[in-house]
Amino acid sequence: MDKKMTWQTKVKHLYAQSAIAGPLTILILVLLVFSAFIPNFFTLRSFSGIINAATLTGVVTIGITMLMITGEFDLSVGALVAMGAYIYGMNANAGRPELGALLAVLIPGLMGAFNGFIRILTNIPSFIVTLGSRSIFRGLVWVVSGGALLQTVEKLPIYNFFNGRMDIINQFLEGANFRTSLIWLVGIILVCQFVLTRTQFGNHTFAVGGNPGAALAQGVNVKRVKVINFILSGALAGFTGVLLFSQYTTVRVASGDGMELSAIASAVVGGTLLTGGYGSIWGALIGVLTISVLRTGVVLLNIPFIPADNFEAVVGVTIILAVILNNWLRGRA
Amino acid sequence: MSSKQETQFGREIVRMENISKKFGTITALEDVDFKVHAGEVRALLGDNGAGKSTLIKILMGVYQPSRGTIFFEGKPVQINSPSEARALGIEAVYQDLALINLMSISRNFFLGREMTKKIGTVRWLDMHGMNEQCRHSLHDIGIEIRSPDERVGSLSGGERQSIAIGRGVHFGAKMLILDEPTSALSVAETRKVLHYIVNARERGLAVIFITHNVNHVYQVADSYTIIRHGKLVGSYSKGELSQDDIADLITGDRIC
Repeated sequence: MDKKMTWQTKVKHLYAQSAIAGPLTILILVLLVFSAFIPNFFTLRSFSGIINAATLTGVVTIGITMLMITGEFDLSVGALVAMGAYIYGMNANAGRPELGALLAVLIPGLMGAFNGFIRILTNIPSFIVTLGSRSIFRGLVWVVSGGALLQTVEKLPIYNFFNGRMDIINQFLEGANFRTSLIWLVGIILVCQFVLTRTQFGNHTFAVGGNPGAALAQGVNVKRVKVINFILSGALAGFTGVLLFSQYTTVRVASGDGMELSAIASAVVGGTLLTGGYGSIWGALIGVLTISVLRTGVVLLNIPFIPADNFEAVVGVTIILAVILNNWLRGRA
Repeated sequence: MSSKQETQFGREIVRMENISKKFGTITALEDVDFKVHAGEVRALLGDNGAGKSTLIKILMGVYQPSRGTIFFEGKPVQINSPSEARALGIEAVYQDLALINLMSISRNFFLGREMTKKIGTVRWLDMHGMNEQCRHSLHDIGIEIRSPDERVGSLSGGERQSIAIGRGVHFGAKMLILDEPTSALSVAETRKVLHYIVNARERGLAVIFITHNVNHVYQVADSYTIIRHGKLVGSYSKGELSQDDIADLITGDRIC
C-alpha cells in the first residue's frame, strides 16, 4: 500500500514538473488508437509520411514556441514562409542559391524585428501588431513576386542539401521515405533546446514571459529578450521557406497561409502556455507530430462524416481537448 | 564599518530630501524627507494612496522625482532604472514583483546574475553550481528548502518572501525594500518572515518595511516615517509613540 502511494506520487510529481509528460501521453494515446483501428498504420511508410508532413510546420513551431514563452504571438510567420521561399527561389533561378538561402533567413528575420520593435515601442499587444503585419507582409510577397507563381528552372544539388530524399538511409529501411529536412529540424531543435534551457538568454526568456515586472526588477532587459525572440521566429519562418521551395521547387503568393495557426496549435498541444512563461521545444515537436498523426490517421480512417478535407475540424477538437488534458495533468499535483 | 556612527544605528544608507513628485497636475508627493541607516528597520506608514509606493518607486528608479535629491551612502545619486537601483545595492522584495512562479527556486535566485561556464565562445548555465550555491546560501540564513529545482509557485507566501530576502542578503544588498510582506500571511508564517527581517538587520542591512497597518510592523520596527496625502507627517523612533498614536497619525485623526 505504502509503496503504491509512493509510485502514484511520483507520477503526479512527473506530470507537475515535466513540461512534456502531458503532451507525450496524448501523442502515445493517439498513436495507440490509430494503430488499433487502421491496418498498416504502424509501419515505417506511414511514420515517415507523418514526419515529412510535420517537418516544415515543425521549424516554424519552434520559433513560435520560444516567442510564446516570452508571452508574445506572431501571426505573420505564414507570410514570412512565402517570403523566404520567393527570396530563395528567385536567387536560385538567378544562379546564386547560397546567397538566396542566406537572404531568405536574414530578411524575414528583419521583418520579425519590425514586429518586435512595433510591439515594444507602441505597447500594442503582439496579437494585434502581427495581425496587421501578417497582411502587410503578404502584400510585400505580392510586390516581390509580382503575384506570379515561381517555379525552378533547373534542379540544383542544393535542393537536396536542404530538403531531398535521404536515399542512403531509406534503402536500408523498407518503405521509409525520410528527407534531409528532418536533419535540419532535429539540429534546430537541439540548438534551441540548449539555448532555452541551458543559457542565460533562455532563462531570461522564461522570466520575461512568466513575470515581466519581476524580470525587469532583477535587471533583465525585457525588451531586448522580446525583440530577439521575434527575430528568431521570423528567421525560422524564412528558413522554412527555403525548405519548402527545396522540396516542391515551386511557390505561390498564398504559400504558407494558415501555417501560423498550425504552429500556434502545435505549440499549445505541446504544452506551451498562451500566457507565457511555460513551454518546451520537445513539447513543440510532440505537438507538431500529434497534429500530423491526426491528419494522416483521419485520412486513412475514411470516416464518412469526417471527410479527409475536413481534418481542420479534428485539429480544432484536439487543441481544446489537449489543453484541457494538459491543464488537468499539470494541476493535479 | 568605516563611516561615522549615527545614533544607535550604522552609517546612513539612503537620505531623500525634499522629494516632490507630480503626475500632470496631480501632486503625489510634496517635500518629503526620508532616511534609513544600516542595521535599521524603518517602517514607512501611510493609508492607501498616501504616496508610500510613489516614494519607493522613486527610490527604485521606476519614477524620477520632480524635485528633491537622493543621497546614497552620502553621495547624491540619480537612479534611472530598477537595474541601476540594484547595482547600488537596493533590493526590492515585492510580493508580486520579486519572483517568477513558473521558474525554479535556484533559477529565480540567480535571475539576472546567472552562474555560467564557458568553452570558447559558448557559454551555458552552471545549473549544478547554482543549485548548490542557492541551497547553501539559504541554509546560511536559516532558510531550508526541499529542493532548489522546485517551482516557486508551489511554495507558500512566507517561503517566497524568505527566498527573496535570502537572495538580497546573498548578493550583498545594502538595503531591502519590503512592500506589505506579511499582510497575506498566517500568524506562523508572519513570525518566520519577521525573523528573517531581523536577521537581515543584524547583518547590517537597512530595511524599509512598507505597510498601512502598524500592527504588522510594530514588533520589528526601529523607527517610523508616516506620510499622509503626499506630505510628511513626521519621523519617529521606537518608543516615542504608542501603536494607537501611530494609527491616529496615519489616518489623520490626530494632528501632531
